[in-house]
Amino acid sequence: MNAAAAIEVEGLVTHYGSRLILDGVDFRVAQGEIMVIMGGSGSGKSTLLRHLLGLHAPTSGSIRLLGKDITRASADEMHELRTNMGVSFQGGALLSSMTVAENVMLPLREHTRLDEQTMNIVARMKLEVVNLGGFGDLRPSQLSGGMIKRAALARAIVMDPKLLFFDEPSAGLDPVVAAELDELIIKLRDSMQMTIVVVTHELDSAFKIADRITVLDRGRILLSGTVDEVRRSTNERVQDLLNRRPREEEIDADEYLRRLTGG
Amino acid sequence: MAETPRSGIAQNLERIGRACVDLLEEFGYYFALILESLFWLALGRSRRQPVRLSAAAQQMVEVGIDGLPIVFILSFAIGVMLAIQGIHTLKQFGAETQVVLGIALSVTREFGPLITGILVAGRSGSALAARIGTMNVNQEIDALRVMGINPVRYLVSPVMVAMVVMLPLVTLFSDLAALLGGAVFCNLELGLSYAAYWDQSTSFITTDDILQGLSKSVVFGVIIALVGVTNGFMVSGGAEGVGKSTTRAVVLAISYIVLADMAFTYFLNK
Amino acid sequence: MAYEVMNQNGYDVVLLTDDVDLSCSPEARKAILACLERGRDTLVDLTAVTYIDSSGVASLVEGFQTAKKKNLKFGLVGVSEAAMSVLELARLDKVFPIHASVAARVEADG
Repeated sequence: MNAAAAIEVEGLVTHYGSRLILDGVDFRVAQGEIMVIMGGSGSGKSTLLRHLLGLHAPTSGSIRLLGKDITRASADEMHELRTNMGVSFQGGALLSSMTVAENVMLPLREHTRLDEQTMNIVARMKLEVVNLGGFGDLRPSQLSGGMIKRAALARAIVMDPKLLFFDEPSAGLDPVVAAELDELIIKLRDSMQMTIVVVTHELDSAFKIADRITVLDRGRILLSGTVDEVRRSTNERVQDLLNRRPREEEIDADEYLRRLTGG
Repeated sequence: MAETPRSGIAQNLERIGRACVDLLEEFGYYFALILESLFWLALGRSRRQPVRLSAAAQQMVEVGIDGLPIVFILSFAIGVMLAIQGIHTLKQFGAETQVVLGIALSVTREFGPLITGILVAGRSGSALAARIGTMNVNQEIDALRVMGINPVRYLVSPVMVAMVVMLPLVTLFSDLAALLGGAVFCNLELGLSYAAYWDQSTSFITTDDILQGLSKSVVFGVIIALVGVTNGFMVSGGAEGVGKSTTRAVVLAISYIVLADMAFTYFLNK
Repeated sequence: MAYEVMNQNGYDVVLLTDDVDLSCSPEARKAILACLERGRDTLVDLTAVTYIDSSGVASLVEGFQTAKKKNLKFGLVGVSEAAMSVLELARLDKVFPIHASVAARVEADG
């Protein structure tokens, strides 16, 4: 792939306390690409996302977003970058003290000097895009799970970001609503040329929306490739994940015994 | 990981050491938080990230106005109690009428700010810790950060302003309520007229007494804000964690207020 | 962004150019609303627009709404493919009267 990279991660190593979480992760997302990061729980995919969002500082390695290394960026550069990225969190993370429309409008209010009326129209337009037209005056607590995810998406795209991050778009949703969200993600990329990173453990959704998939396992990248490449992969762990087989680890008898007895 | 067994003393020493480090860390965090919220108050506007006055005003209503009824009731009760105890004590010297002096000074210098501090810590300190803790658990704080909205500017600075402005005002209100409580009891017990009580009180109380009380209350306000916010930010472990942090915030804030009050009183009256 | 207002076939035509984004959409908004304020039928020409963001589209929406209130004609001409896909995303392509050029609009008016 020759297109300019929107995201470049090199040699990312991270710890939680003294525990190693990510162990030398390298990956690259081209501009306008939909990259799906997959992996079971404990694979480090959520940690990777938090680092991509600049919420944690890594132990070592570099993370370049839109050409800027966020591990070295100044506060101002980071601020500038953040106005170019949108994030939809797993639980929505809408501010519960505000209405849905106020939530969607918040980035505009904080970062732009647009006329009040213009901000109102932009926010309502985004709510229309995610099929929540007319729900702007509700509180987040009055919305269903699927509606919260869509409202969070509306807030994430309100500044027309170049980068969109989406954490578990379909988790906890019924299949129809999940499929609608998948469609929406593809539509956003097509019409606004966004670069989109989706973290998920839902296979169907991943295969449907991804240009490329990165499979993460125990802090390392198993495979990064197109949907077909992932499907055809002979890697046992990848196949375990695809076929939902429980993982079988070989047992080190001594080590296991020590864990059980605490000795 | 293999751990070598340690003696009880070593373990206790380690526990004490760790607690000290934690405490030091927490105070370091408070200090950093003060600096950062001052930074945003001073320079936020020029960096196009201003601290919203509307948010501060909303906090002021919650911190100050909404708590006035309970502040009035408790301060009034304190005034009555001071009068009862004062009269009882002074009776032994036949100096009941001096009670007005005692009430006036202890209310303005001590009880007004202390009652206000404790009440606001209980009402707003806990609400603050719960609000920010819930936001933390729901990833709302993360959401603010990735939107490029600094959580300290957006959440902490307005609270800091509200506390520093409102605590002295509520303290003044509390002073008046407590003096009124004293006046009512003295009127019933000693037949002292309200006008005489007021005249005596105002002649005893100096600007210094009032300022001492008010400057304390400013410090209490900062303590409540810092402890509430910090415990909110440090929440981990879901709804249960929020509950624990809220309790911790109230207990710590009240403890720090009483300790700070003691230190303050000692140094101001040396 | 630069803009120009011309008088063509009885319309005020607001010609927007280059990128219409957060930094300049307020200017475009003012230009459009000013034409309508003068009681002129208004068209917005997007032929030379390379990129239009949501705030730009919002300004167009506000213009259209204002025109309706004042019983004036309003429309978009020369909508590029990129601009079209942004309009389509919010289903606004079905809301605005859109024509290839000012001439085409005049012809459609009959």
